[in-house]
Amino acid sequence: MLQTETKPKHYQKVIRADRWARRLITFGGYGIIASIVAILLFLAYQSLPLAKNAAIKTLFTFPASQGPSKALLTGIDPFQEIFYILDEAGHVQFYQTAGTKPLSEAQLPLSGNEKILAAAKGSLSSELFAAGTDSGRIITAEVRFQLDYSESGRAVIPSLSVKEIWKIPAAGKAASSNAASSDTLPDHVEKLAFSQNEDGSRFYAWVDHQGALWVRSYDAEEEVDYLHPLSQYLGESSVTALTISNHGENLVAAAANGIMRWFDLKDLEKAALRDEWSISNGPASALSYLLGDQAVAIGTAAGAVEVWFPVRTPSNLMKFRQIHSFRSHSAAVAQIYHSSRNRDFLTIDAEGAAQLHYSTTGKTEVQFPRPEFSIAAGAFAPKSDGILLVDAQKRFTLFRLDNPHPESTVKALFGKVWYEGYPGPEFVWQSTGGSDEFESKLSLIPLIFGTLKGTLYALLFSVPIALLAAIYVSQFAPFRLSRIVKPTVEIMAALPSVVIGFLAGLYFSPLFEQYLMSTFVFLILLPLIFLAGVAAWRAVPESYRMKIRPGFEVLFIIPVILIALQASASLGHPVENFLFRGNFQQWLYTTWGITYETRNSFVVGFALGFAVIPIIFTVSEDALSNVPKSLTSASLALGASRWQTVRRVVIPAASGGIFAAIMLGLGRAVGETMIVLMATGNTPIIDFNPFNGFRAMSACIAVEIPEAPVGGTLYRVLFLTALLLFVFTFVLNTLSSLVGERLRKKYARF
Amino acid sequence: MERRISYFKQKGDSYIFAASLGLVISLGMVAWIIFVILSRGLSFFWPGDTVLVKLHNDSAYLGEIWESKTVYRLDAEGDEHEEEQFQMKIGNRDLYGRDFIWLNRADVAQESSPPDAVTIERREYGKFFGFIRAVQIGEERFEQPGAVLFEKAREAHRQATATRGRIKDTQKKLNKLMQPLANLQREITLLQLSPEAKTEKGRQKLAELQKEAESREQSIADGYGILNQELERLTLQNRSIILTMATAEGAEKEIYFSEIVRFFRPNTMSGLAKAWLYAGKLWEFVADEPRESNTEGGVFPAIFGTVVMVLLMSIAVVPFGVMAAIYLNEYARQGAMIRFIRLSVNNLAGVPSIVFGVFGLGFFIYAVGGSIDQFFFSDKLPEPTFGTGGILWASFTLALLTLPVVVVATEEGLLAVPRANKEGALALGATRWQMIRKVVLPNALPGILTGLILAISRGAGEVAPLMITGVVKLAPTLAIDGSFPFLHLDRKFMHLGFHIYDVGFQSPNVEAAKPMVYTTALLLIVIVVLLNLVAIYFRNRLRKKYRGSTF
Repeated sequence: MLQTETKPKHYQKVIRADRWARRLITFGGYGIIASIVAILLFLAYQSLPLAKNAAIKTLFTFPASQGPSKALLTGIDPFQEIFYILDEAGHVQFYQTAGTKPLSEAQLPLSGNEKILAAAKGSLSSELFAAGTDSGRIITAEVRFQLDYSESGRAVIPSLSVKEIWKIPAAGKAASSNAASSDTLPDHVEKLAFSQNEDGSRFYAWVDHQGALWVRSYDAEEEVDYLHPLSQYLGESSVTALTISNHGENLVAAAANGIMRWFDLKDLEKAALRDEWSISNGPASALSYLLGDQAVAIGTAAGAVEVWFPVRTPSNLMKFRQIHSFRSHSAAVAQIYHSSRNRDFLTIDAEGAAQLHYSTTGKTEVQFPRPEFSIAAGAFAPKSDGILLVDAQKRFTLFRLDNPHPESTVKALFGKVWYEGYPGPEFVWQSTGGSDEFESKLSLIPLIFGTLKGTLYALLFSVPIALLAAIYVSQFAPFRLSRIVKPTVEIMAALPSVVIGFLAGLYFSPLFEQYLMSTFVFLILLPLIFLAGVAAWRAVPESYRMKIRPGFEVLFIIPVILIALQASASLGHPVENFLFRGNFQQWLYTTWGITYETRNSFVVGFALGFAVIPIIFTVSEDALSNVPKSLTSASLALGASRWQTVRRVVIPAASGGIFAAIMLGLGRAVGETMIVLMATGNTPIIDFNPFNGFRAMSACIAVEIPEAPVGGTLYRVLFLTALLLFVFTFVLNTLSSLVGERLRKKYARF
Repeated sequence: MERRISYFKQKGDSYIFAASLGLVISLGMVAWIIFVILSRGLSFFWPGDTVLVKLHNDSAYLGEIWESKTVYRLDAEGDEHEEEQFQMKIGNRDLYGRDFIWLNRADVAQESSPPDAVTIERREYGKFFGFIRAVQIGEERFEQPGAVLFEKAREAHRQATATRGRIKDTQKKLNKLMQPLANLQREITLLQLSPEAKTEKGRQKLAELQKEAESREQSIADGYGILNQELERLTLQNRSIILTMATAEGAEKEIYFSEIVRFFRPNTMSGLAKAWLYAGKLWEFVADEPRESNTEGGVFPAIFGTVVMVLLMSIAVVPFGVMAAIYLNEYARQGAMIRFIRLSVNNLAGVPSIVFGVFGLGFFIYAVGGSIDQFFFSDKLPEPTFGTGGILWASFTLALLTLPVVVVATEEGLLAVPRANKEGALALGATRWQMIRKVVLPNALPGILTGLILAISRGAGEVAPLMITGVVKLAPTLAIDGSFPFLHLDRKFMHLGFHIYDVGFQSPNVEAAKPMVYTTALLLIVIVVLLNLVAIYFRNRLRKKYRGSTF
């Protein structure tokens, strides 16, 4: 205490400055650690939600028992504020999710005690539905949610508008075996499927009380109806379920004997049977086309849940095949609803158990809590962020569905997945497609393969060259030469990769294509001419040879290369004529079925060499030079030749460093972006053929992340790709550093 | 005995030759790449002689001969024939639809270099090759061929260029006059679109704004009228200065002089005149804006963007990197932890640059930038200010990328300071900070400089992380300009490296753009290599010092 008081004032200032400097610098030091950790954590944090399972949370339950009639259909607005229930009596009741009383009511125009028997929604973008009654009428109506902005904020105002009322053809007209017995019954619409396409054309499929299946295609442009009786295809068995695809082009009908039939409705004037197949787990009790209009979710009376879609057979026919099966229900599946955003679908069985599945991955994501009563109707919220269930007592439960990345399971990212339209399970990367209904294919395997393929070719080319050069420079080259070489190699390392990529794409690849044969001839000729040169060298009398100074080797090798270049340039064409009928690329295609791409893996391997050679050279040259002089001197003194010393003493001693160098080079090749982006065609294929390109992880990130919606699945998958790159290169580099350190310690005692 | 020695001497010699093969190939690759870039990059601006080629089928082409090659073709009998082909740049894109044509040497009937052939560089549609037919200045029309006509054309071009300059000035004045009104109108449209417009308050505000807009419109009406008239007059004036050209086949084409950048008769020019023109074009390349979707003109905005970005990056990375290095060397207790940190920093240098780009995009742009927008620029939302790629975020991303370079180089510099000096300072009673400031830092300066230069060189050449953090094909405005606050950190920018990628791979006319890319690549390489040479020089000096100071 006393001491500080006696010290002069400026000394206190010095002390304070010292303290502040210490704090600041320590802060800077910790900052760097923090930033490394931050990068790793942030990448992980961004890609972690991919692994998250779907979760539901009960937002609201509400006893809405108004009247005894059964609910048939339900739906909710995009903001999840208002929902509606359509019941048997044609009442449409609107409720507020925040309130307890019905908000308002509307009524479908039913006559007397007419009852609705079946109802179906028919649009992905609006709450359009069709209802079939027991007096043979099909009423098409739409629930609208209008937004109104006022002082108090946004309000959603629901309304009901009837679009069309249509009477089905009278009973008895359909040729049916039991027509006489049921003639007394009024016309019924027993089962109904409905869809409206983007032109406004509408498709209805229904089963009447006689079990006859009908399709009505309404052409909105021409305002014409086409009626197609389909009973002749059905045989004896009755129809148990129907579904029409979202754009109205396909109808799938299930029969009680387990036979499924696929009808093509594309041509409005026709309804043609395209495929017939049978399912094994009992007859289908519920059907639904999923988003994308390819896959059909099938729920059977035995409770099985399956997804089928058409696959092209070798004879070029489209045949439905079972692709996925999901966790089954304990009772017959009664209803299936599909999401209008992704390939989620909801199955509800007769006992009220509900499950959420995702078609692409074949995963059952959520099992809903079992309700007291059976479920009468369900619906996805328009943004697929909620699910509404209405039970037999007209009580509803709204669940928040938290399922942002259903398409990215471990299996989908790293395994084979059978995508819609593909002949079998495959590794596919195709992140975006033409429409919102596109099924994104996010297998990282083609990208990882691409990266490894590029790296392999790069290392095949650059490792021998770089190591030879390093051995020469460290062991044999005169000082004058190595003094020039080292900065030159450093400049090679500093060449911007965009320049190398540009040259590879626009200069090397056309050149390589032009001199393709010459390149191969060169690869064969070079060793031959080299051997010839060495033989000639040995023929020189020893007395002359002894006078040659070190460094002469370079002067010797330059003419060898030049001769080989010249010879192969002029020989390339004759060889191509002789061996491949004048056109190597044609020959490749006809003989091996290999198509030649201008920007191919050879070019990438060569171009990546510019990036990799300097690294391998510098690090291994260091390691080779640092082999203690005492070791080499001892070897030479014992009579070993220069090369024997290098081969038996220097290289083994420096092998760790050489390994480290190759690891570093590997890391560089794996992470290089611009070169692979510019020098390959960037097609994500899995193919070892060196004459075509690939898509590397790094290039894929660079191309796709600017367009990826923030927080979306693609965005996160690309973050995961970046994380993989980070971890991979970090591990490689750590490995090489550790090896290098051990090496230094090992030879420190010499 | 003698035999054995010779055996040993002989043994392995061929391996040594083989080892030198590796070296020669590596050096050859560097030499090749430099040669290609140099030869193609430098020759582009040299005004090439134009050649008039008449073919046997009576078609004629005027242009520059670029390349030639031999192709092999099979005839009907299966015999092979060699064909000499050459590539001509025939320009006149608006007439022919393509710039280049491959011709067979055998088809050529006559080849000449007409002295009166004129090469025109235009603001649109690229070059025009042809002969001058007539020059029209207002009512006057000159048609008699010869040197006089060319002089008249020069005069007309001077006039048109001057008028063009005045048009630009007038437009600038007009814009300045209109700016406040345009801003007001933008505010009105935004308000109309927002839900606020439906409320009473919103309606009131809207009415007020509209009233203000009206009064402002009236107040500038006079000035606007005068300027507009002037603009119309000048435009008309320039529309009457016309050059009529004839192509090689005699078709006529009228070109406004105001659309011409420059024109010359390459076949009559002396070497000196060509050199002068070459210098002018080189200057244009460095100092001018790009034209024709970046395939012509200059790269000034790209140079400017690169420089500003690199400067911002240096400001961010140097203090941080130097602090980290000093901490690791002077403050931290050396142990396993510090070894691990040092290892991690080294390894950070090997992490792919695109990973940093992804981090920059997710963290700087979306997380930090998004929050800044919410707090400070919420009136502009949903249009992002800092929540989108920009020069600041790109610089920060590159700063992170180059951090290991700076740390490693600085540490090397710090290690070069003799222990005795440091301990001497401490023994004399200096605090640690005084010791660092007076003894360590001055001696470590070359190391810090080396790190800085290497970081700059790395930053100037890096493209992948920039592509996703703010570089664009064509930035309408520079990051630094005369309008407040002068340094616009949120703006997108152009970059030389990205320019190469973009023009070489994304441009609609790659063949015509290629020479430009070579030149840009040359410029980039020159910058990077120079920076590296300086860094190597500094480092060598440092190492010498280090070697000499072990006592």
